Amino acid sequence: MANTLRLYLSCIRNTLDAAMCLQNFPCQEVERHNKPEVELKTSPELLLNPILICRNEAEKCLIETSINSLRISLKVKQTDELENILTKKFLRFLSMRAEAFQVLRRKPVQGYDISFLITNYHCEELQKHKLIGFIIQFMEDIDKEISELKLSVNTRGRLVATEFLKQFI
Amino acid sequence: MAAISIHRFAQCITCHAWSPDQSMVALCPNSSEVHIYKMGEEEWERVHILQKHDQIVSGIDWSSMSNRIVTVSHDRNSYVWNQEGTEWVPTLVILRLNRAALCVQWSPKENKFAVGSGAKTVCVCYYEQDNNWWVSKVIRKKHESSVTSVAWHPNNILLATTSTDGKCRVFSTFIKGVDSRDAAQPSSAESRFGEQIIQLDLSTSWAFGVRWSPSGNTLAYVGHNSMIYFVDEVGPSPLAQSVALRDLPLRDVLFVAERIVIGVGYDCNPMVFAADDTGIWSFVRFLGERKITSSNTKYGSQLSGAFGKLYAQSTKYGPGNDISDLSKLNVNAHTNCISCIQPLKEQGKAAVSQFSTSGMDGRLVLWDLENQLDLSEYICLFF
Repeated sequence: MANTLRLYLSCIRNTLDAAMCLQNFPCQEVERHNKPEVELKTSPELLLNPILICRNEAEKCLIETSINSLRISLKVKQTDELENILTKKFLRFLSMRAEAFQVLRRKPVQGYDISFLITNYHCEELQKHKLIGFIIQFMEDIDKEISELKLSVNTRGRLVATEFLKQFI
Repeated sequence: MAAISIHRFAQCITCHAWSPDQSMVALCPNSSEVHIYKMGEEEWERVHILQKHDQIVSGIDWSSMSNRIVTVSHDRNSYVWNQEGTEWVPTLVILRLNRAALCVQWSPKENKFAVGSGAKTVCVCYYEQDNNWWVSKVIRKKHESSVTSVAWHPNNILLATTSTDGKCRVFSTFIKGVDSRDAAQPSSAESRFGEQIIQLDLSTSWAFGVRWSPSGNTLAYVGHNSMIYFVDEVGPSPLAQSVALRDLPLRDVLFVAERIVIGVGYDCNPMVFAADDTGIWSFVRFLGERKITSSNTKYGSQLSGAFGKLYAQSTKYGPGNDISDLSKLNVNAHTNCISCIQPLKEQGKAAVSQFSTSGMDGRLVLWDLENQLDLSEYICLFF
């Protein structure tokens, strides 16, 4: 299992490395504006083909690129309802603090759990390999985090149930 | 090493240009200002700050004969700066643009300059003596997207442009009263201003960084699909060659000689392309690569290779890996995308042996081709 995850992550890493070729580019449609083209989508010629990388049906990664910005949307593995609710709550917690993460988007793209938006300004300030490393690290950690949360919820549930049922003995 | 000097001026440099005598460099530190640095004694010294634009400066060109600086910016304006005494005095150029200006270049005779813009147009500006201002003539409705780069043919008439619609176009910019008929080549003399000579549809993605060879016979430009294109005999029946790279796309190119091109881009390392005797272009090598000295390869290269491997393994875990750090430092003169390459022209020499690159890491790197043994044969072959 760990092996397939590594392949999936290295595929994403290589794709991001090739896709993260951004530059400062002012808006063609609106005067004196400079906005991420991947969000506005005003000029189709400034967008590249989106890339979808799937590990399985539940886990996928969509990479959309434009001349000055890049959007990465992730769908995190959710096998049961508990994982579903944990993922939703946890990623919502992160999204609400998006400005602390710089590259995190406040709202995920439709159909995905979390989205990152990387613009040319991030590439100017941050090192590219660290930026890619952050995304990959995040993907590695999120699975771990969710399963840990799930484990602690289960342990707590068992503990509470034991305590509760003690009174009937 | 090919890199002879590395200096970090800012967090990010959008573009730079050299003064005619190469003692000063004008650069934009990713802001609305243009800083002029002078090489003092061992230190770069900031001598002027040109403040007039109110958005990021996207293009600078310093004319070599008339010592004038032209700057363009995302604020849609352009200024021509003249040195009067110790001050630089700006003159506003009415570009008549309604979108950002992206690139600028003086024509070889320095009586005109061309500005590429996000309004899908190219402005060709010339000085009108009677009114004492710069007048702009606009080439409209030819580009389908932003014009990313412009390049003048040595004959002062033809102008090549690249655009984010992936096409490279060549226009005639003959302006009555500015250009004389006899000076121009017979083929280009008949065409009017703004007439499209050729449209090259080689790239499937955005095109950047167009340049003419010193003689004007070859045109080179790059595509964002990691390709570089060389076009000979620009005219009714052009001969095109495309070279695909296995690395990240390029952003800008420079002809150092008629048959040698340096390409820079997202790989943070200049690439050398050269044409052989039959005129076939190919990738030669990276310029920033550390060359193994001949003495090393002669005496048991296998042994040193194995030792190097062992050494690398042992230092991977230890903190003191100064040698691998050093080699890393040497390999990467730049740590982020290189967006601008400029020649350092020597008087009376056609070939360029030194050039400078700047990029998103804010570094300005000077490169020298003199001691590159394997490349010197290409340079000598054609000059």
